[in-house]
Amino acid sequence: MPAFNTHAMQPTASHDEQARQDFVGALRGHLSGRIMPGAYRVYGSKVEPAFKARHGRPPADHDEVRQLMTQEPFYQFWSAMQRRSQELLWESVIDPTERQLPELIARAKQLGDKAKKSARKTRRGTLLLDPKLEVPRYHTAADIHLQPGGYHTDFTTDDVAAGVIYDKGINLYMGGALGPENNLMGDTLLAYLREKHPDFKPRHILDMGCAIGNSTVVWARAFPKARAHGIDVGAPVLRYAHARAEALRVPVDFSQQNAEHTDFADGSFDLIVSHIMLHETSKSALPRILGECRRLLSPGGLMLHLEIPRGKTAIEKFMHNWESYNNNETFCRYMTVIDLHAEALKGGFPSESVTVDEFAPKLDVAQMNYTESFFWKILAARR
Amino acid sequence: MSSRRSPAKSSSRRNKSSPTKKKRVTRKPTKSVGTTTRIARLAKGKKPQYFSDPATDKLLWMTLTLMEELSVTRDRLDAVERLLSKKRLLKLDEIDRFAPDAAAAAARAARRSAYVERMMRAVHAELEAIAGREMPKSEAEVVAAVEA
Repeated sequence: MPAFNTHAMQPTASHDEQARQDFVGALRGHLSGRIMPGAYRVYGSKVEPAFKARHGRPPADHDEVRQLMTQEPFYQFWSAMQRRSQELLWESVIDPTERQLPELIARAKQLGDKAKKSARKTRRGTLLLDPKLEVPRYHTAADIHLQPGGYHTDFTTDDVAAGVIYDKGINLYMGGALGPENNLMGDTLLAYLREKHPDFKPRHILDMGCAIGNSTVVWARAFPKARAHGIDVGAPVLRYAHARAEALRVPVDFSQQNAEHTDFADGSFDLIVSHIMLHETSKSALPRILGECRRLLSPGGLMLHLEIPRGKTAIEKFMHNWESYNNNETFCRYMTVIDLHAEALKGGFPSESVTVDEFAPKLDVAQMNYTESFFWKILAARR
Repeated sequence: MSSRRSPAKSSSRRNKSSPTKKKRVTRKPTKSVGTTTRIARLAKGKKPQYFSDPATDKLLWMTLTLMEELSVTRDRLDAVERLLSKKRLLKLDEIDRFAPDAAAAAARAARRSAYVERMMRAVHAELEAIAGREMPKSEAEVVAAVEA
């Protein structure tokens, strides 16, 4: 697995904890590289031909494919193993986090205090939590991608556990393909901006649904003269994000806010970004978030949302939706059919300013969890 | 991972933190055992059933956990054997002739119990559901959360 950079906010792993994470990596690599492609073969060689012979047509859509594939023993077994691998992934990171939690919380406080003290001399990041913020139901109804407690649960006072767990968890989830600081998504969207708008120099950047700020840090580093803000609904991920950014010596202003209705003034930002956030919201929240982007952008400002592809063929769409039915990414099933362009119009953007692009990343093929071809989807609009 | 890091010092166990007092999170924090904060191991949400017999789901769950622990154990044994032979403290055939004394047997028994507890989590999850732990009653309830 590629290197994962160490910083002050990471827990250490004992021999057995490391061996468990290594096993999870080996298991998931095998499942995605060797077992998952079999589901496509079962569909292509058996399920689809049998359906065609009976009905004189291929299955109409991913829902019809779902009816057929969930009855297939090969798919069932892969699916059950994939689910367990996701649970094992979190367990392997929770163990060392729980063991070192008091130290990690103390370290986060130290880093926060240090930032406050030196803020008079140099620009440092800030953290503003809102204990009254209501965590939306699409986060509290089920723990998204099976991380126990999700992004938002405090297991103790001043908790950072959800952030610590998420950081190492997504590194394992993608077999290290997200980069040494889980920076790939930020890098990808930044590359898109530089390709499409080479002269764009933002001064005020907002990263929505920033979680641990892994992408926010990428933007803050890329535009050191700009002020970078990160918002999220989860307090423990934000405490961790702040401490992590300070440990990496990157100034970011983090605040606990719902992207559907923030407390920033109209036109506060010239660049608003998000990274795989939209599919973790809801039908009504999505246009509200895009409407909020329009309100927060200054004239000429840009919004860029990086999203996970949802497949092109019926079988691909079905396979991508594994996450929706098995990994508590419940909203994904709707994202398969939602027209992001139309959603941006609902948010008040003029049609000619909105684009939805496919953007290919440089990713290790062994990490294709549900499909054999991968590209990011980018929703862009200019105010 | 490029490097394995050493375990934390034992002082990390002296945790004086208390459960959160915040009320905005609807889910109760996991109970504290002694002074150590416990982080939940089961995710909230409806667990899918993959096979016609739910027992098959649990058996596969256990098998994969067993696979993991066997892999960990082989790695650990490998570490022990290599370290000892490097230090010329052990000839490898001594392991085959080893029998534990009472203290070693007790330590093994405690570790074994914790291992069985971990293996049985799939069964405990069903018990928790029977005991009425807060969980969505149906898939529809979770879907409603994103449809609202």
